[in-house]
Amino acid sequence: MLEVSNLSAGYDSKAVVLGVSVDVREGEVVAIIGSNGAGKTTFLRAVCGLLPVSEGEVRYEGRPITNLAVHKIARAGISFVPAERHLFPEMTVAENLALGAFPLRPDPGQQSLVFELFPRLAERRRQAAGTMSGGEQQMLAVGRALMSRPRLLILDEPTTGLAPRLAAQAYESLAALRAQGMTILVAEQQVPIVLSLADRGYVLENGAIQIEGLATELRNNPTVRRAYLGVV
Amino acid sequence: MTAVILDGILLGLQFGLLGVGLTVVYGMGGVLNLAYGQMAVVAAVVVSLSMSSGLPAGPAVMLGILAAAGIGLALDLTILKPVYRRRGEARVLLSLLLTIGVAFIIDGLLVWRFPIEALSLSIGGEPILVLGVPMRTGSLLASAITILAGGALILFFRSTTIGKAVRSVIQDEVGARLCGVNPSAVRTLILTLSGALAGLVAATQSMTSPVPISAGFDITILALLVTVVGGLGSVRGAFLAGLLLGVVNAMSSFYIGAYITTIILLVAAALTILIRPSGLFGEHA
Repeated sequence: MLEVSNLSAGYDSKAVVLGVSVDVREGEVVAIIGSNGAGKTTFLRAVCGLLPVSEGEVRYEGRPITNLAVHKIARAGISFVPAERHLFPEMTVAENLALGAFPLRPDPGQQSLVFELFPRLAERRRQAAGTMSGGEQQMLAVGRALMSRPRLLILDEPTTGLAPRLAAQAYESLAALRAQGMTILVAEQQVPIVLSLADRGYVLENGAIQIEGLATELRNNPTVRRAYLGVV
Repeated sequence: MTAVILDGILLGLQFGLLGVGLTVVYGMGGVLNLAYGQMAVVAAVVVSLSMSSGLPAGPAVMLGILAAAGIGLALDLTILKPVYRRRGEARVLLSLLLTIGVAFIIDGLLVWRFPIEALSLSIGGEPILVLGVPMRTGSLLASAITILAGGALILFFRSTTIGKAVRSVIQDEVGARLCGVNPSAVRTLILTLSGALAGLVAATQSMTSPVPISAGFDITILALLVTVVGGLGSVRGAFLAGLLLGVVNAMSSFYIGAYITTIILLVAAALTILIRPSGLFGEHA
């Protein structure tokens, strides 16, 4: 569904990510793991059009989308939930969700699916997004991303700033989405939690893929265990 | 006293509408349009010329509003393109320099071609009593149009998909793009709308007092005051600030004298900014 080949990207001619190739097949959950500053965010931002791709290609459902405008990539069916969430702070939950469906009017059926996944959002639908807690804002960011009925959901560090219990909840809702057949690509520093969800994973360090494989393989890989799972 | 305050409120509604046209453009990403008043004056000149060539007032005003909207559209598609490519402070500064250049060019052309033109839409009829105060028909008509336009504007921003998209770009441009909103299309729309508002206010203003071709910078400064007091980028703030400054304006020109009104307005604006640096509703601007 998503094929990224040899992608390089960075800021001001300084490449942060160099020659990264990642594949996501329909119905899969793919994790990109790595430490802080490894290039995970740069990679995802380049895929979604928020950063220019200096080399390589991004294909989505067979068509090249390299360096397409962000809004065009979004309308093509890829929803990106950035770590900073980028909600509309002075708008209500309902308005934020409605904009997720832009340029169409929000579909009531899709909205009830979001409310089923996050009942808290239904309770808070008249509340301004900026006044909600971190966990609720994360729910809203995912909910807003779902309103366009995306075929591919990309998330950058969905657990940013969340307490462990809320982080676990965030991944429970991703598991629910996966059960509904959603294809998910997620970058995460909290390796144990993401590897328990993912089908496959890539280890990104210093801007390049170091290891890739099935999630079960990664969990048993000695390097991964040492570096990310805290096993000596 | 009631008469003065009522006058101020009616004037303030127009100030508010004027401010909205400037503040949304700023909120869209740091473009301060110093040619704003000139867009209004061009509208006034177009209305005045069309009427002297025999067009009735209604269509003439429509033509004037279209002309001002056209300038907004043209600005967006030409000289503002390099502005949008910059970020932050550089964007604000470049927009200031380029639009003040446009303002001077428009002013120069107007003085050269139509040195004595002024728009004065005189509405006849007996004064009408409002709260026991006799009000001029022109002033009431201007207010009715302003209230209708303001209401339509609020409805547009609150309830339509496009209006929400505009607010989304003001509040978080990256978030808006991720939702599929194309910010440059939204900006084009808003620049055009801003021109139309400038044109509309020129028309309503001329129902109570003439709008001469030299009014450009005065109108821009007034709009800037409303914008700064209301909070940059805030539509609500602009209307509230417009009402506040309208009442201050009416009171000071009645009790002190018209010659000193501008100074008093500036002081009122300065005081607001000293007490609330981000304006009445400027928390997220």
